[in-house]
Amino acid sequence: MTESFPFPRRAPMRITFTLGLAVLVIFAIVPAVGVLFIAFTDIRGIVGIPVHWIGLDNFVSFFSAAHLGYNLNAIKNTLIYAIVSTVVGIVLALGIAVLLNQKFRGTNAYRAIVFLPTVLGVTVIGLIWSLIFNPSAGPAASIWKLFGADSAFFGDPHMALGLVIAVQIWAGLGTSVVIFLAGLQAIPEDLYESSSMDGATPWQQLRMVTIPMLAPSITANVLLGIVGSLQSYQLTYVLTGANNPATQLLSLAIFSQGFGGSSASGVSQSQGYAAAISIVQFVIVGVISLVVLQYLRRREARL
Amino acid sequence: MATTKLRSRSLARRGLTAVSAVALLGILAGCSSAAGSSSTDGAPSGTLNIVVSSADASDAGFRAVNAAFEKKYPNVDVKFSAVPNNNYKAAKSSRLTAGNVDILIAAPTEVPKFVADGSASDDDLSTDAGVFLDLTKQPFMKNFTPSLLKSIAYKGKQYTVPTGVSYYSGVFYNKTMFDKLGLSIPTTWSEFVTLADTLKAQGIAPLGIGGKDSWPAGLTMISAVQGLYPTQADKEALFKGLWTNKVKLTDSKPLEVLDRVQKMYEFGQQNFSGVSYATIPSGFASEQFAMTADGTWDAPTIASAVGSKFEYGYFPIPTSDTAADNATLAGKVDLRLAVAANTKNKTAALAWMSFFSDPKNYATYVKVSGTAPAEPNIASSAFLDSIKGYTSTFSPAWDTIWIANSKAGAAASFPFNYPGIAPLGSGTAQQAAKQSQSDWAAGF
Repeated sequence: MTESFPFPRRAPMRITFTLGLAVLVIFAIVPAVGVLFIAFTDIRGIVGIPVHWIGLDNFVSFFSAAHLGYNLNAIKNTLIYAIVSTVVGIVLALGIAVLLNQKFRGTNAYRAIVFLPTVLGVTVIGLIWSLIFNPSAGPAASIWKLFGADSAFFGDPHMALGLVIAVQIWAGLGTSVVIFLAGLQAIPEDLYESSSMDGATPWQQLRMVTIPMLAPSITANVLLGIVGSLQSYQLTYVLTGANNPATQLLSLAIFSQGFGGSSASGVSQSQGYAAAISIVQFVIVGVISLVVLQYLRRREARL
Repeated sequence: MATTKLRSRSLARRGLTAVSAVALLGILAGCSSAAGSSSTDGAPSGTLNIVVSSADASDAGFRAVNAAFEKKYPNVDVKFSAVPNNNYKAAKSSRLTAGNVDILIAAPTEVPKFVADGSASDDDLSTDAGVFLDLTKQPFMKNFTPSLLKSIAYKGKQYTVPTGVSYYSGVFYNKTMFDKLGLSIPTTWSEFVTLADTLKAQGIAPLGIGGKDSWPAGLTMISAVQGLYPTQADKEALFKGLWTNKVKLTDSKPLEVLDRVQKMYEFGQQNFSGVSYATIPSGFASEQFAMTADGTWDAPTIASAVGSKFEYGYFPIPTSDTAADNATLAGKVDLRLAVAANTKNKTAALAWMSFFSDPKNYATYVKVSGTAPAEPNIASSAFLDSIKGYTSTFSPAWDTIWIANSKAGAAASFPFNYPGIAPLGSGTAQQAAKQSQSDWAAGF
């Protein structure tokens, strides 16, 4: 330790580590614990309004008969959103990564194109797709008209969630493809050679060689996908607004309850109630992530 | 090793590095704090922070007033920010906490005794906690129309300055198109239905609604309540009846409100549930629909979109079969300004309010923003003059009287469940009413 570069003495390492830890604690841990505490109060977010400790009232209200339908709808939409966008996104990303892993001209350009949506901000993506799916004059409406139908797209309660999921998959492909490409390039070539000498078809190679060797990348992508989509609300907020029951997500409910997301939100509760919803969301995300992580780690270990 | 030799073992050097790092952080943090200063003697000086919710017309009006104010008081630096509507609540909360806002928008509404605790809005609770200055005894309040001031009083006191009045239970209509088809302004519901059917037969969408943002569709609900419960007393009786559970949302008259809304949805343009409110003025200007349910706040935007393509006007949607019930437009006092109690520049804030309320400067605001005036004897725009017949009595709109129950379900927020009716939702008026009644009852 004492002779190794770059920390011949322990003190600088300790100082920088402490500074980093301090930033993390102040800006991440303290607010998270704070949210847990304010979930038990009726804080409104404006200094001056008295705050009362109300115990489990917020949680009781969340599960009360009046709000339960709305909240279960939000949880259902969140789970559909998370599962479909993760599964379809990963299957698509794997296919694209396998295609882009081959050596042909322009492969770098294609990789850049696939990665481009990740670079765009949520607002830009929302604006682009709102314009594309404009029911009166957008390109999608023209294509729909070719089939003799017309649709309200984001305004149609049956179609809205599906469209939002499609946009989310489009926006998230870049990161998944990059992770899969990195994983694919780590697979040794001789495995493919030996398997084709044993008479394996490309499809069998994909199933028996590629996917098992990609297990760590799959774990990474699945976890990123699930945790990310269980918490993401930005795209839904931009595309369909904060109070559309067809695309109501739990994280969006937190935002509109805590910060009055829309001028027509009807009733917004106290921020304590929003904190209570976020605790419920934390429990749901935590349980799902742990279960999925356990399963995937076991699959990795089996190799 | 060469690297260890270069590294200084001196404690003093390391200490100096640490101290300078901390100092740098401190300087950077300090750079971002607002440089506010308060006035000392009677004359206003220093910085004045005004934060309002954004709308093109009113923003322009405020900017004109601010420019004139800075000319009169050169020592004051007015920092004006207009925040989009959806983010205003969060911006207001953070700036009040930081203590760097002097004038802001607030709308405290008196909560009657029959409304349960927990349904008061943030503005009500803030006013009770003394977050806004009491302006009742301020001399500039005398400039405003007394009946308006009475309608926005909170517990007998005045905390806000009304900047204008908007009316929104009507439609902008394409006068040129009406004249061409020989149509006249309907005064009863059956006349309105006949008019819309005639337009539909001609292949023209009768009503333009910006359904994607949800609240524009609620304007049809506001007009329905305005026609079926014409006077303020009717609306207040409905308000009390619902809260004391003597009136159900599935009773015949409340159900009629939703029936009207459903009929108006049928007159809406194709797939209006996916059309955003921002595209409505251009849709109206390109004659995609003959009428659009909108408020007079949008008059300047409609004017610039339509230009001189055709003549247009505004009339109340006649949702009652008695013509007399449909004779008044529902309105609200728009953009009420309050002074933050923790303001660092009280002199400048009150001077600005006084300057704004002065009829000379208020007339400028009204002219630039196109709002209906909240002071008597102020010239209003030609458009507002054209609807004078409908606005001679101020009739507060349903959503300024209604207070929702925070313990009730989401379908009972308005409480008429207009988002539950197809194509915004997936039910008929009957089903939407049932849903909202069960959500309402669950809150007790």
